[in-house]
Amino acid sequence: MTPEIGAGAVVVALVLAVYGSAAAAAGALTGRPNLVVSAQHAALGVFVLVTGALLLLVHAFLTFDFSIRYVATNTNLGTPFYYRITAVWGALEGSIVLWAWMLALYTLIVVLRHRQDSRELYPWALAVMLGVLAFFLLVMTVPAPVFQRLSPVPPDGRGLNPLLEDTGMITHPVCLYLGFTGFTVPFAFAVAALATGRVGDTWIALTRRWTLIAWYFLSLGLLIGGWWSYHVLGWGGYWAWDPVENAAFMPWLTGTAFLHSVMIQERRRMLKLWNITLVVLTFSLTLFGTFLTRSGVIASVHAFTQGSIGAFFLGILALVVLVSLGLIAWRWDDLRAEGALDSVVSRESAFLLNNVFLVAAAFTVFFGTVFPLLSEAVRGEKVSVGAPFFNLVNLPLFLALIFLMGVGPLIAWRRASLANLKRNFVAPVLLGIITAGVFRLVGTASALTVLTMALTMFTAAAVAVDFVRAVRTRLRAGEGLLGAAGGLLVRHNRRYGGFAVHLGVLVIALGVMGSHAWSVQTEATLKRGEATELAGYKVRFDGLAAREESNHFKVVGTFTVSDGKPDFAVLRPSKKFYPQEQSPIAGVDYRLGLKEDVYLVLGDFARDGSHATIKLQINRLVSWIWIGGLIITLGTILAILPERRRPA
Amino acid sequence: MRQHRKFLVGGVIIALALGYLVYAGVTQSAVYFVTPGELRAAPVAGKAYRLGGMVVPGTLKWEPQTLALAFSLSDGKATVLVRHRGTPPDLFGEGRGAVVEGRWNRDGYFEASLILAKHSEEYKAPHDPSQAGHKELLKTLKGPQP
Amino acid sequence: MTRAWRWLIPLSALPVLVLLWYGFKLNPRDIPSPLMGKTAAPFTLTTFEGQPLSLEALRGRVIVINFWASWCHPACYEEAPALERGWQAYRERGVTFVGVDIQDKAEAATKFIQDFKLTFPNALDPQGKVSVDYGVYGVPETFFIDRQGRIRGKHVGAVTDQTIREQVDRLLAEPS
Repeated sequence: MTPEIGAGAVVVALVLAVYGSAAAAAGALTGRPNLVVSAQHAALGVFVLVTGALLLLVHAFLTFDFSIRYVATNTNLGTPFYYRITAVWGALEGSIVLWAWMLALYTLIVVLRHRQDSRELYPWALAVMLGVLAFFLLVMTVPAPVFQRLSPVPPDGRGLNPLLEDTGMITHPVCLYLGFTGFTVPFAFAVAALATGRVGDTWIALTRRWTLIAWYFLSLGLLIGGWWSYHVLGWGGYWAWDPVENAAFMPWLTGTAFLHSVMIQERRRMLKLWNITLVVLTFSLTLFGTFLTRSGVIASVHAFTQGSIGAFFLGILALVVLVSLGLIAWRWDDLRAEGALDSVVSRESAFLLNNVFLVAAAFTVFFGTVFPLLSEAVRGEKVSVGAPFFNLVNLPLFLALIFLMGVGPLIAWRRASLANLKRNFVAPVLLGIITAGVFRLVGTASALTVLTMALTMFTAAAVAVDFVRAVRTRLRAGEGLLGAAGGLLVRHNRRYGGFAVHLGVLVIALGVMGSHAWSVQTEATLKRGEATELAGYKVRFDGLAAREESNHFKVVGTFTVSDGKPDFAVLRPSKKFYPQEQSPIAGVDYRLGLKEDVYLVLGDFARDGSHATIKLQINRLVSWIWIGGLIITLGTILAILPERRRPA
Repeated sequence: MRQHRKFLVGGVIIALALGYLVYAGVTQSAVYFVTPGELRAAPVAGKAYRLGGMVVPGTLKWEPQTLALAFSLSDGKATVLVRHRGTPPDLFGEGRGAVVEGRWNRDGYFEASLILAKHSEEYKAPHDPSQAGHKELLKTLKGPQP
Repeated sequence: MTRAWRWLIPLSALPVLVLLWYGFKLNPRDIPSPLMGKTAAPFTLTTFEGQPLSLEALRGRVIVINFWASWCHPACYEEAPALERGWQAYRERGVTFVGVDIQDKAEAATKFIQDFKLTFPNALDPQGKVSVDYGVYGVPETFFIDRQGRIRGKHVGAVTDQTIREQVDRLLAEPS
């Protein structure tokens, strides 16, 4: 019965969503509020139904209901309890359910929060939200139905992909989807602005927090993805410029650009066209990302199964892009700027450059990702560009962005005077140059590393100078240190929250640079008792043991690591054999550190335990990446707090 | 307006710089997809290839002490000898598909710097009757353990 | 910008969309089996009903060999009805469906056959020799053999009515 109830709920939700979207649009066109109210009820109904379907699915997983094909494919009797819940979104059909549920939740929150806000924009925004929701419900009904029956019922299931049995996999898709679906809201309001012609600041002011929250979850999702890649996949890296990764990175880049450029529209009433285009682009890229990972168009080591779902996503992508751009063309005259840029040396200019570089990065990532398609279409050759391309092209852009992070928040609006420049930047520039000199003296060969360190110091110093100066002003006015600092953070939480996020990004940049420039690795086959050395660490192979777990069989190697002092760590990398998998899955073991991580992977081993082949890496500064993520979290929380006073 | 021209010039410069970077990036890191047949027909030494095929059963040789891995990839028409230094990745074995990245060596083999393997979610693997089963490992891996 | 030019904006998105649509037409390079076109390895097994099953005896017919196991869920469970349907549709047209059960227990296998009411010949491969000869690495895998006894198609994973139809029709259309 469960599959039929679930499938039925989805169909009813689809009908309600279509109705609600039409009713809200009709209400917007005719100005009749009871249509909008009806659409609100439909939104509530959709939320209840989708929640019900999700709960039914979770229940089916928890009770091993193998009559449902999706459950039988993604779990088996040995799957541990908590992974049975996360297996719900472990494959294609379930991931769409999760997406749809989040969208339904966000729609409901939009209803509750914004229905009094803007009588003109709200109905259109609701129509768009319900329309997008209807699309995902359609996908859940036609190409990717999650409640398909399996008959006769098999006695056991296939099992969850072992790579997904990890805490990273519990949180990574959830965060990413919260980010992706979150961008639907600013998009919906942008379309509303275009539809009603009210392309001023209202839609931006309403969606500022949504954008920040969506951006944050997308950032967090990307970082957790990197963490998962690092500690599960066993190659010692956290980012491979794989098409699936790029698919999530592109909307992050344009989303970051959008986050910044709206500040210019708020202050100077400029860039209206740019902002609307950016949010349309960001939302389209979230759809494109889903299309890419589910259509099989680009070959990737992570490719999901194909089917007609690709066509559905291409369809909605085309619809969204063509309609949005059409609306922009229609409202072109209203979107033209009121203000103009006064000077190249100004905050507006810095923000604009920031946007240009971020969008350029997004473009190059897009270009590199679809390059195989392009080359086959144009020259008939199948060519791809790998990590070197992305690194080469994006590195200068990211370095420029680091520089702008320091310049932007401090340089004056409209036109920065020489005095203003001197006041804010002399010290940071000097510190940057000194840092470069220090690193050169210390013997750093790579000019790139020196440049990165110098720019990072410049930006950190610029932020610090600004904060210290502001605190000092307050101290002079008679406040105590803690009060001064705390007061600043609270009263100007947007500004200092942003600063904190920038600092987090700097820390991540340092982590990335350190791990690339200074990490080392080696591979060796060791007999029992034999050791290998790398970067001051000695790794000795002690032995192998075998063990049965609930749903897999495990071979564990024991290695004693010493760094001069004996017994620094005992690492136990493993190989896990899952019955449903064609080959074993590596279990990495590592010892994380602030300066460096000791990272060990078990490769081949002799069946009698006499020798083992290992890959040993000393990865430098990788932990800074995760720490940077923590700082970004704190900064975002600060930035999102309700403001104590309206900005002037 | 003079301001506009300044921005236009700036924009063009950025676009040109970006275009150059993209061009350099593509030419430096382009990897050509070939099958064993295509590679054998016209191998170019030093060019970066991505080679896909089936690992021919009986050709896999793994030397744990020297970390030397050798095997042949075939597409049913031609066979290419591949050499790699390092442990083969987990999703890799005889009779299975594999994709390798690397360069063609003049001495007549493909030097792989990277071995990629595709993970299929379609089916279940049988327990291999020819190799000692996993239960055996419980017995053979007993011995002095720390 | 004049009224007409602005409509270039939405049109500018078309090339990218077309490129993505074009991506559908391309096949990501499938890794072919080295067995394609080679003569299918002969075998003789005993069906679950006790009858002999020999590949050579079936020469001259189009043969569909399906490797399965009762513990292979859900894929083998999904394709079993399709295989039975294919057998019923094609048995009078010179096609034989054969099921080879690998690494399985006889009782579980028999139950599987009974549950799905399979009527085409099914046999256990006790030493796994047949699966090794065919390079079977997982279940289910289905092979399509032409009238001259050559392997002409291989499908990995659950096979569908459509795949069966396409492969068998193709081989039936060839001259004997």
